[in-house]
Amino acid sequence: MTIAISFSRIYRFSAAHRLHSDSLSEADNIEVYEKCNNYNGHGHDYTVELSISGDPDPKTGMIIPLEEFDRKAHEILDELDYRHLDKEVPFFRDHLSTGEIIIQYLWDRFTEKFNGYVVSHLKVWETNNNYFEMQRVGD
Amino acid sequence: MERGAVWITKKFEFSASHRYWLDDWSAEQNEKIFGLCTSPYGHGHNYELHVTVSGNVDPETGMIINLSELKKKVSVILKEFDHKFLNLDTPFFKERIPTTENIGLVLFEQIDKVLSPDKNFKLKKIRLYERNDLYVDVWRKTN
Repeated sequence: MTIAISFSRIYRFSAAHRLHSDSLSEADNIEVYEKCNNYNGHGHDYTVELSISGDPDPKTGMIIPLEEFDRKAHEILDELDYRHLDKEVPFFRDHLSTGEIIIQYLWDRFTEKFNGYVVSHLKVWETNNNYFEMQRVGD
Repeated sequence: MERGAVWITKKFEFSASHRYWLDDWSAEQNEKIFGLCTSPYGHGHNYELHVTVSGNVDPETGMIINLSELKKKVSVILKEFDHKFLNLDTPFFKERIPTTENIGLVLFEQIDKVLSPDKNFKLKKIRLYERNDLYVDVWRKTN
């Protein structure tokens, strides 16, 4: 029997954004993004569930020390917390801040930050009613 | 496309205390790695356990597993954990620390043991919440 195990933490960040594509006309932006195209932006409380998989260290019984997990996650998420994504976070100056692109951005940042560990799953809630997920290939 | 198996999940709760500490480490080393979890008399959590079973739907009953049977079997196991100090009051953590990971692995093993005699279904996965912002998943890989 092959058993796998992952350890997950849930974090929150709050941010503003506006969905607006420069390659679309004003009218098309309103049609595609509807209320998310609101001229002055709007915001969400995002919830992020990050999972790291791997065998727990036989001595400590942990896949990753909690302090290290939290520190690394906050180093990524604090850059977004209480910010306007499109105006204040460099990556989103030239990328749309849709949930799909936010989760891919976070996946890439987390996998780089958690070098030596395996990021196995990521879930980003934009509101209580919609969320985005990514899973490592093969899991 | 071939239809995959159906999964069914039941939730359980238990409350227990634990402590993270390695005798062969200095106090500083223990505190550095385990932080508040080294508190000398232990501390506690309300754990939430999700037990997921997969299998074929029995054509006669329309069920994978009788949920009350699942409840009975898992509850017997959780009795050993509920309102206990896991380090001392259970046999599982004499040689290993009751971290969330280790509790998850022990629970998967114990639940798998009581469910495995019935070949109609299999324990697929468990999720153990230690707090509402911290959980462990243990699952059986498909291949």
